This record gives sequence, C-alpha cells and structure tokens, in this order.
Amino acid sequence: MKYRLTKEGKEYLENGLPEKNLVELVNSQPQKAIRLEKAVVKIKNFPIALKWAMENCWVDKRDNEIFLLTYPERYPVQEALEKISKGEEVEEDLIKILLQRKLIEKVKTEEEEMKKLIGKEVAELTPALLKTKIWKEVKFKPYNVEVTGKKIYPGKMHPYFRFILEIRQRLVELGFKEMEGPLIETEFWNFDALFQPQDHPARDWFSTFRLSYPKYGRLPKREIVERVKATHENGWKTGSKGWRYKWSYEKASRLMPRAHDTCLSARTLANLPEIPGKYFAIAKCFRPDVIDANHFIEFNQVEGIILDESLNFKNLLGMLEMFAKEFANAKKVRFVPAYFPFTEPSCELLAEHPKLGWVEMGGAGIFREEVTLPLGVKVPVIAWGLGIDRFAMFKLGINDIRYLFTRDLEWLRNKEVI
Amino acid sequence: MPTIEISYKDLCRLIGKNIKLEDLRNLMDFVKGEIESIENDLLRIEIKDTNRPDLWSTEGIAREIRAKLGVEKGLPKYEAEKTNVKVIVSEKVKRVRPYTVCAVVKKLKLDELALSQIIQLQEKIANNFGKGRKEIAIGVYDLKRIKPPIRYTTVKPDGIKFVPLDFEEELTPKEILEKHPKGKEFGYLLKGFNEYPIFLDSKNEVLSLPPIINSNYSGKITEKTKDVFIECSGFDFKFLIPALNVMVCALADRGGKIGIVEIEYPDKTIYTPDLKPKSAFVDIDYVNKISGLNLTPKQICKLLEKTRYEASLKKNRIKVFYPAYRQDIMHQRDIVEDIIISYGYEKIEPQYPKIFVIGKQSEMEVFCKKVIEIMIGLGFQQILSPILTNKENLFKKMNLDEEMVIEIENPVSANWNVMRNWLLPSLIEFLSNNLHVEYPQKIFEVGDVVLINEEMETMTEDEKRLACCIANSRVSYEEISSLLDAVLKNLGFDYKLKKSEHKSFIEGRVAEVFVEKEKIGYVGEISPQVLENWKIEMPVAAFEISLKKLFKKT
Repeated sequence: MKYRLTKEGKEYLENGLPEKNLVELVNSQPQKAIRLEKAVVKIKNFPIALKWAMENCWVDKRDNEIFLLTYPERYPVQEALEKISKGEEVEEDLIKILLQRKLIEKVKTEEEEMKKLIGKEVAELTPALLKTKIWKEVKFKPYNVEVTGKKIYPGKMHPYFRFILEIRQRLVELGFKEMEGPLIETEFWNFDALFQPQDHPARDWFSTFRLSYPKYGRLPKREIVERVKATHENGWKTGSKGWRYKWSYEKASRLMPRAHDTCLSARTLANLPEIPGKYFAIAKCFRPDVIDANHFIEFNQVEGIILDESLNFKNLLGMLEMFAKEFANAKKVRFVPAYFPFTEPSCELLAEHPKLGWVEMGGAGIFREEVTLPLGVKVPVIAWGLGIDRFAMFKLGINDIRYLFTRDLEWLRNKEVI
Repeated sequence: MPTIEISYKDLCRLIGKNIKLEDLRNLMDFVKGEIESIENDLLRIEIKDTNRPDLWSTEGIAREIRAKLGVEKGLPKYEAEKTNVKVIVSEKVKRVRPYTVCAVVKKLKLDELALSQIIQLQEKIANNFGKGRKEIAIGVYDLKRIKPPIRYTTVKPDGIKFVPLDFEEELTPKEILEKHPKGKEFGYLLKGFNEYPIFLDSKNEVLSLPPIINSNYSGKITEKTKDVFIECSGFDFKFLIPALNVMVCALADRGGKIGIVEIEYPDKTIYTPDLKPKSAFVDIDYVNKISGLNLTPKQICKLLEKTRYEASLKKNRIKVFYPAYRQDIMHQRDIVEDIIISYGYEKIEPQYPKIFVIGKQSEMEVFCKKVIEIMIGLGFQQILSPILTNKENLFKKMNLDEEMVIEIENPVSANWNVMRNWLLPSLIEFLSNNLHVEYPQKIFEVGDVVLINEEMETMTEDEKRLACCIANSRVSYEEISSLLDAVLKNLGFDYKLKKSEHKSFIEGRVAEVFVEKEKIGYVGEISPQVLENWKIEMPVAAFEISLKKLFKKT
C-alpha cells in the first residue's frame, strides 16, 4: 500500500508539527513554561498542538500556564511524515495515527484505478492504460472524425517577403553578390555619379523626394567629386562633351530618400569592385508618385551590374533573356530600344508571361563611360533593373500594389504559403 | 517621357508610303516609340527618349522611318536662305530672359493635321525639353502680319496693352498674368521681375509676351498662313538652338523654305538657324567591342546611313556627319547605340555572359532570416509596413514627446511625411486595423528605421530592427520577456534587463534590454493610454530590439 501526504501533512512537513513547535517554544523559555495567551499567538493550530503535546505527556497545563513535562528525544510522527514524503516505509501504528490525523492518504495504484475501466468505453488513451496494458480490455469511444479541425493560425512569413527572398536566393545562385547602401542618399550618388545633369527633370520637386531635415550630406572623397564635376561640365577624360553647365556642389550634397537602386551600383563602382564581378541589390526606393493601385511611394527594386572587359551588348541581351525565363517563365522575349541617362546603348525587356501576356520587365544598358570612368572603372559594365512587383502581385493574387504592405491580418492568416 | 498624338494618315503621307499598322509597331522601335493607343486615325505614341525632341512629331518620326525603309538615306538636307527679317535684342532683356534665336519658314501649305503637329511639337519642346518653358519658350507667328525689324525688349507690367491669343479684350501684361489661363500657369516664371520680356515689331505691334503667350493678331497661325516667323527665347543657347532647329526642320519636311534671320545683340550679331551638319568620329573597334556584332566598316556606314547619318571611312575610324537638330550626341557611345538600333535589337543573338564568380547574400540579411525563423517558430505572423509615416503615429499616439526625425520636404501626403525612427508604431497601427479579427494576435516585423547621425556621410543611419507584439485578453510582462529570452538565447546572446521608464509602456512594466553593456531595445506592456489613442481594447505586450547592434556582436 502506498501513501501520500495530504495538504495538511505537507504543511506540517514544511513548518513542523504543531505539537513539536509548541514543545520547542516551551522548552526555549527560561522557566520552561509559557502563558497560555502568549502561546496561542505564537503557535499556529494551537488547539491541535496542545492536544497532542499533552497526550504524549510532553507538556501540561495549569492556571493558564503551559509547562514542560519531558522534552522528547524524537518526534516519531514528524519523522514518519518525512519518510512518507520520500516514499520510504513507515511502521503500521504510525500509519494509523497519520491516517487518523488525516495527514496522509492512501494512494491507489494505477493498476487499481485502471482495473475499474475494464469492459468500459473510455474517452482517451492514457499513459496509465498503456503502462498497465489494460488498454487491451477497454473500448475507445468513437469520435465524429468527419468534423473539420478548429482553425488555428501558424506563424508565417509575409508572402511578399518570401517572394523577395526567393529572388535574392536565385540571384545568389546566379553568382551575384549583394550590395548594400543607405536609404537616405546624397543626390551625388543618386544622380550626379550616374551622369544625370543637375537640371534633369527627374531631379525636380515633383519627381524626387527631398528632405527638410536633415538637408545636406557630405560628398565623397575629393578626387571622385572633381572627376564627376568635370564630366558633367566638359566630359573630363571620358571622350564626352559633357552636359556643359556649371556643376553645383550644393545640389550634389542635398539629401534624398534614394529613388532607385542604381545609386548602390554607383557606390559599388567607386569602391574597387571585383573584375570580373557580378553584384545585385533588392532595395527599398522612394518616389513621390500619385498613390493608386499600381503606384506606391515606397517600392522594391531589383538591380544589378556585371563588370568585365569582355562584355558587350549581346551579353546584355543574353542576361535579360535569362531573367525573363527565370523570373517570368517567359517563352518569348522582346528587346526594345530605350533611353536612360546613365546607360548607352539602352534596352527595355518585354516578356511574354504565360498569364499576363506581354509585360515590361525592366530596363538595362551598358553604363556610359561618363559614369564608369570617373568612378575609376575602366571595363564595360552591364547594368539592369527589373520591376518585380508586378510579378509579386500576380503570384500573390492581388491587384493593388498597396496590398504588398497590407494591414489585413485575416488575409495574411488565410493566405496559403506559395 | 513625352506622349504625342499623330495622325496615321499624315504619318504615311510624310513617309511617302502606306505602312501596315502591325509593321508600324515594329518600326516604332527605331524612334524609341511605343504605340499606346489607336483610335481610328489617331495614334498616341510614347517616345522614350527624353533627349531627342526631333522625334516628338509626325515629321520627325517619318524622317527616321523614311531612311529605315530606304525611301531616303543619309543626312536629311536642309537649305536656308538669307532673308531681310532682322531681330534687335535690347540690353534690357539680359536679366529677365537674355537670349533668343529665330527663323523664318516660307511657302508653307498647312492643313489641319500639320497645324496640330506644329502646336504639339512647340508645346512638347517647351514643356519637356525646355523644362516647363523655363529654358525654352517658342512662338510661331504669321510673318505677313509682322513688320520687321522685330525688337526683343522689356516692358513694364502695365506698360502696353494687347489682345492675347484666344482672347478678345486687350490686356496689360500684368492682367494677362492674372487672367489668362497661360498667365496663371506660367506667370511664376516672371515672378520678381519689374519688367517683362516682349517681342514687338517696328510698328509696336506685340508679337508675344514670352514665356507666357502670343498675341492674337500675329501669334495665331491658320491653314491660310503661308510664311511664319519662329522665335525661341531662354537662358542658354545649348537649349535654344536645337529647339529652333527641330522646329524649322519639321516645317521644312512639310515643304517649307527655311529663311535665316539676323539677330543683333548689343555686343554681337548672329544668324539663325544654323543647319550645318555636325561631325564626329567613331572607332570601328569600339563599335564592335560594345556591340559584340563584328561589323565591317562598310556595314557600319550603311547602318549609319539608315539612321540619318552621313558616314565615310577614314583609316580605322568612321567620320560621321549628323543633323544640326541633334544635340544628344555627346560621346561616340551615342553613335554606337544608333548603329545597334539601326541593325535591329531583334536581329541580335543574345549571349549569356560567360563570367563565373561566386554569389553572396548580405550577411545582415542572412542574420535577419535567422531572426525571422525564430519568430515564426514562436508562432508569430510576419508583417511588412512602410518606412514612411507621420509624427502623430511615431510620437503623439505613442504617448511620447516629439523628437527630431527625418522629414520629407515635398510629401505626397501628410500621412507619409517622415521616416520612422522606431518600429513599434507600425505594429500598433497594424493591430488598430484589425480590431475585429480573432485574438490572440501575434505579429512581428523585421524592418528598417532611419535615425539621424551627423557622423555619417548622409547624416543619417539605417538600422534593421525586430519588433514584436502580442495582443490578447490577457498578456503579461512575463510572457513577452520569455519570448524575448527565446529570441536572444537562440541567437546565442546573453542579456540583461534593466528597469526603465518609457511613456509608451506601463510604469513599472518596462525594461531596457542590454547585450554586452549596450542598450539594444525595450520590452514591456504597452500603456493603456497608447492603446486608447489607437482605439485598441485588448492589452498588448511588445518588444523592439536593434538587429544591427546585435549583428555587430556576432
């Protein structure tokens, strides 16, 4: 038979038996005696304490005073409690006392409990049923297994984030190294280093965000700034005539949220890139567009550059064709002449998407020498930029670009992982 | 990018051949054009080259296509004869709008289609190439109604009266700026000047008030107009000369005879237009290196002739002449592009570059991905929100005093006029948008905030952060701090929490998070005042930590 402590038993085990506490208190008094009213205050469960202490002839009571009779060598009941709490055996007469005092209770064995279930229908399979092997002698209540499960929502990645992650992964597999750069740029890196003249319409109030605070940043090292300045003004040593105007340091040091990833390419070119080398960026850009289903003021761009002495326009087309196949499952592609201030020749990529039809995928070109030479790069540099949001929208089954930043938790919870 | 409207019939007439519409679509590649829509005879075409105003008209497009189809080849020939039209430029225009270049075109036979092209080209050049008329204003006048010599001078705002185009009453320049639609639109270009530029003829008849409006008397051309006077005014010959050349060549393509005008400046006399072709050299090796096409000199010359150049071989180089209306050629690279376009992008065999290098993700991104993995494992939904926001969301609604943040000078909307300097407001805003969605709501974002840092080149610094929120009928500091513990421990960081104060959180239930003695963020229960500001009726616990700071310690 197994026993375990009751709540009271556990309390006495922890704080000592009341009679033990009383005996110790009386014994600690100089006259080995204490006034009743004092003891009542000091001893928890005083009536019980007094009853058992007197029954054991450890103390006696006279004239409202409790005095010591014999100081016990041991407290067998206290010891018994300790033993039972450790699962050790205790003598029969002590068990009786403990049971009588409701300090312990019988523990039914698992087997006993389980035996009660024999022949019955049970709700759950439990570890006890397995251990006692009684599962062989019970029936399990059948469930309505055709009821669908209660809805729970797993933690998930945002589907647009997953889409971008996959593109990043593919570009790394294709040998591109990721570029990084600041969200707030000087116009120098966003425009000047890319040979966009300072009075270019893309740099005006309506096409580019500006900051009211902080307004100006610092220009990079003098050597680069002076070369870029000269290239704008007269072509410097690039073989170009340049834009022929007076270049302003002030305009170049104005700060702006970057308007395209190409500023990351410009920084990379100026920072001793590997040759041959391949670099890419997937980065947030900002433009003061009218906000509608196709435009938002923040968007992601995917851009990249390839540097090598051997590169030419055929390679540019080869790379674009590969992108169209990789990212848009395009069967057919078209290359169309285009214009960008920083590339020449320039090209636009159209891809025939299986569902969307002909889609403009992005622009590309070979960087002008007015861009590469001032930044210290002497080999041809292919530059490309892809608009991926359209494909993200298609994949996510949405037709409003603002949904890429959706605040609709229900939609996110219910969106399948694709 | 200018979008122009042209007549299909007029285009075919100018090309001198009937072109099938489907062929036209492909031919548009050679002028960097894209047909946006077709309505009966009206084509809307977007021309992608912002630096080639010569292509922004039916005449210009037809000119290129004629060479492409072999109807013509090489340089388009333009002759100009001297006339007795003279323009005298006064010293007084120096401050307000210093330069003009002019021309005459005679013997025109204009119909409605031609007229609409002249007006459209003039507008597109002035607005797109001339930056909203600032750099270039163009006037076209009926020469018959002008008595030369013409004077380009200034006038006081109420110094003269004339009937502006499409008006009936006489107005002073000041009144025009106030009342005429063009005055209202472009009047700001004359703001701050006490005299305005004006073209007058010898009888003191007003031609125009540039860059605002022509007079109704001489500045209106009709189908009956035979001879025109054209002027371009502005600040820089490098814009004015090509603009004038584009205009007169377009008119000459319709049969007009170009006439030269003498312009007498206080310090010099010039004759415009100057249509003498310009010259340049291209290296054959360079052409082949950039194009990858292996063209022979003869092939190159032929391709150039098909795109309106004159080309001849001079040793290892090709000497080219190109029309005077082109100002976009700065480098031989520009000529190489023309050669490749002339060859045809569609005929080029794409060749995947054979360059083998090792790819690599940004290490910060890799780190972020680990963090995201842990958060998803803890059962949280990732969200993405814009970096742009407003001060109300960042501070007032978060129960904080305003701080300096990065502010947009020209925002599209007051909702998005600053860059966020912490992430939690984005998450709280998200929760406030989902008040009726099942709780618990457990969300996180890994995103950028932008901070002011004057030590940086850009005076600012991006910082990747992680923020996480639980909204539920019961949330506790215990729960959120054990989530934070899970994130940091799984990333291998030891950390300490220090009792702190932060007005977005409940007093006594917010701590600062320290890793290696550096503060990396906050954890706590969101203040009921904040929740009330966002109308959220569920308790929220949250933390925000800097991943950039953590990453530096890995």
